[in-house]
Amino acid sequence: MTRPQVAELLRPAAAPKSAEVVIIGGGITGLALARELVASGIRDIVILERGYPGSGATGRNVARIRAMQLTESLSRIALRCQTKYDRMGDDLGFNVLFYRLGYAWVLYEDAEVERMRPIVDMHHGLGIRSRLLPPEATLRRLPILRGGDPVAGSVIHDDAIVHHDAVVWAHLEHLAGRGPRFLGGTSAVGVVRGDAGVLAVETTAGLIETRNVVNATDGWSSEINALAGVRTPNRPYRREVLVTAPIRRSIDAAITFYLPVEGWFNQTLRGEIVMGVVDPDEPTGINQASSFAFLRRTAAVMTRKAPALGNVTVIRQWGGMYDVSPDHLPLVGPTRQLEGWWQANGWSGRGMLLAPYLSELLAGRIAGRAAHPDLGAFDPDRFGVEQVVTGQDRDYYARYVQPH
Amino acid sequence: MPVVRLTRRPPQPADATPETRLVEFSFDGRTLLGIEGEPLAASLLVAGQRILSRSFRFHRPRGLMCSTGQCGWCECEVDGVPSVRTCRVPLAPGMVVRGEHAVPSVGRDVLGLLDFGARLVPPTFYHHRFLHPRRLRKAYLDVIRWFGGRGALRWHGDRRPTTRPAREASCDVLVVGCGPGGVAAARAAAEAGARVIALEADPGWARAAPPSTEVRVLADTTALGIYDGVCAAVDADGTWEIRADQIIVATGSYDRVPSVPGADRPGVMAARLVARLVERDAILPGRRAVLIGSGPDLDLAGTILRSAGASTSGPHATHQLRRVSGRGGVRGVELLRDGASVTERAHLVVFGDRVPALEMLLQAGAEMEWRGDHPAPIVDDDGRTSLAGFFAVGGAAGRSGDLAAAGRAGKAAADAARSRPSAAVATTWSRGEPHLHGPVTNRVPGDAIVCFCEDVRAREIAAELDAGYGQPELLKRRTGALTGPCQGKYCLAAVACAAGVAGDWVPPTARPPLRPVRLAELAGAHPLAERPTST
Repeated sequence: MTRPQVAELLRPAAAPKSAEVVIIGGGITGLALARELVASGIRDIVILERGYPGSGATGRNVARIRAMQLTESLSRIALRCQTKYDRMGDDLGFNVLFYRLGYAWVLYEDAEVERMRPIVDMHHGLGIRSRLLPPEATLRRLPILRGGDPVAGSVIHDDAIVHHDAVVWAHLEHLAGRGPRFLGGTSAVGVVRGDAGVLAVETTAGLIETRNVVNATDGWSSEINALAGVRTPNRPYRREVLVTAPIRRSIDAAITFYLPVEGWFNQTLRGEIVMGVVDPDEPTGINQASSFAFLRRTAAVMTRKAPALGNVTVIRQWGGMYDVSPDHLPLVGPTRQLEGWWQANGWSGRGMLLAPYLSELLAGRIAGRAAHPDLGAFDPDRFGVEQVVTGQDRDYYARYVQPH
Repeated sequence: MPVVRLTRRPPQPADATPETRLVEFSFDGRTLLGIEGEPLAASLLVAGQRILSRSFRFHRPRGLMCSTGQCGWCECEVDGVPSVRTCRVPLAPGMVVRGEHAVPSVGRDVLGLLDFGARLVPPTFYHHRFLHPRRLRKAYLDVIRWFGGRGALRWHGDRRPTTRPAREASCDVLVVGCGPGGVAAARAAAEAGARVIALEADPGWARAAPPSTEVRVLADTTALGIYDGVCAAVDADGTWEIRADQIIVATGSYDRVPSVPGADRPGVMAARLVARLVERDAILPGRRAVLIGSGPDLDLAGTILRSAGASTSGPHATHQLRRVSGRGGVRGVELLRDGASVTERAHLVVFGDRVPALEMLLQAGAEMEWRGDHPAPIVDDDGRTSLAGFFAVGGAAGRSGDLAAAGRAGKAAADAARSRPSAAVATTWSRGEPHLHGPVTNRVPGDAIVCFCEDVRAREIAAELDAGYGQPELLKRRTGALTGPCQGKYCLAAVACAAGVAGDWVPPTARPPLRPVRLAELAGAHPLAERPTST
């Protein structure tokens, strides 16, 4: 068993004097990247984590692993990301509870249905077998919606969920004894720059000399970039979640709807229902607090959409962050602003899905290989230097389907 | 059965009087009789239903245990509404009650066999399993999914609750809880000139004992948490957002279930519950009782039991109790006496220890200290906590019955509110990290369950410490301890003991809401009920 080695990996320690790569952020991005770097032969790695493994968005999201996306480029990559998760149990020897729960976009307006037709055709072209269901078939497939606001249809696919905590533990067990060091409760507080690029990272546990730093902090990425004098447009938005006491299997899909507001719910393997309704006016800023407005908003919307949910019992709520970029795509790769400074953030709500696969590609670049074409859309320098996210398009579809 | 109704045994239709009307209800299809208005759980108990629910993981039998509506061991489906705490529901004619989470019934649940294999399935049981053969992976998880869940959602056609906006209120001093401490504090604050609002969750309680005419009492109103600038609460008509300059936490205490193997057996009951059952409901829950712990509740329960004709043994110190035996209900106890282990037959184990109801102060982030076998807030003579704007009185401060201290807290809160710089009520309270100052020296036997919602045993906590997951948030995620419906109310003390906290400890984040609440309640609509139109 490798378990005692996790104790070794997580044992509090002083920072080493130097490292080949310093990863700031011990969530899914940092852990997956460390795994891929090790596979590329780079073992002298330090992961800095201000809390505990997965204490940011990784431990706060609901780990929907969805291949069907609104655009072709994203769907193609998401399909590879999903395959990566499907294999994760074999690759890491740890069951991350990859489960094809099913996924449904529930549509409430006829215009939405029309919008979805070409998207479903696009899915089919990629081998994603999504189906556009009419209202009656939607209610047969998802009886939880009976008696609620009249639906116009749905798009349903065989997408998956995983257990986010299990993903973290699988990576920790894998990394233990393979070289990387994990400094929990340790923050980056400064970056030493030279003419040739990054020289060192100042941490609360001491100075670490390094020529490669990866910013894998998602919600905190603009703060960490600022330490290095690097500017990025992505900004954090709070998202909130509530979870109910477990009930018998009642909902056979992860449900998402976009109108009149964005909301979602699904059942975990244990039977708890996780759900949330998004505040379209949520301001930017680092904020993981729980709000009462969220509870009331979610209760009001969910009891309209699925009246049977009125009887479920909320036992807990929490907040986490999306690090949102202008095009809702992540920043993954080097930046011309500073040699040796790598971005792996701005996941815009898809870090859990995208990070394991894109970290594999990023590790290849850090190890000196040529850029994989799949990284093309995620070049951190694709935005203007002065560009900053200040708000999101209220029309969810418009964020992805750009006018030509 | 050892449970008997003292006044009528067994109840007969002829017994019905205007005060005590016998009514029919059903449990799992059987028709039973009970007295209208008594707690449904009491009706079930006296009808022979000692087992009311099954625990989530190992389907251990659970029955009526606490007296506060908080432990969740008495949850059944009532009139189509899942997981209703039957100790809080007055019996009404024709109620349709069903046991949940059991095959075929909570009384004889074959899944209870899982408990015998508990050692084989630690909370981490799936980590290295169910991967091979690959084609069965989905099927494995389908099976796990089948085991999940408790209550069932039943479909409700097109009945759609209407949504109501939150009501708002503001005051100088908000008192959460109208027990003796809360009443004393509210009265003192009002006498000192403060505008006072007092909340009481227990149905009927605040109406029966209004603190004073100067105090605005929100009866049957449950505080849900301290959010940014507001204390949120819910009642039958929906939600409240209350702004207050000072908050006095008077939330009382929870019963401290002994940390020994078998302590969750039906028949292990809090002293307060036993006293209420015998005195108010005229139900004797057992003829042979063992008293464990100390305190006025326990003394009272012992006196009441003896006067009702039961025999009692003890009180024995809590550390003398080593084990409770029996499966479907208590059969006996193992006690440590003069260094030797002795067994005693019993139907009932009555315990008197309590722990402060801390969740609101934990959420706000007040400093705690370890007192005896549980955490308690650090308060000064006037009940001030380490957080500006927060006071604690009565049982919540570990000062049950100290009404003088509660009065001082009320006056101090009123003075603090009066001295605020502006007329506007404060909109933010200070927040901190709820450090729990150790060391914790109590030890828990490895077989003892420390988290009842998730059936986590002490040795499973120890195993995670060895594996490197001792950080409290990791410990919580790895074992599930503190994440169940009670959210730590019944287990934080025992989990801290099992974790053997050596010095300072920051417990896992106490997340709102502080009480389980249905979505329909939050939306301002009553939970949807499916009352039969004919029987």
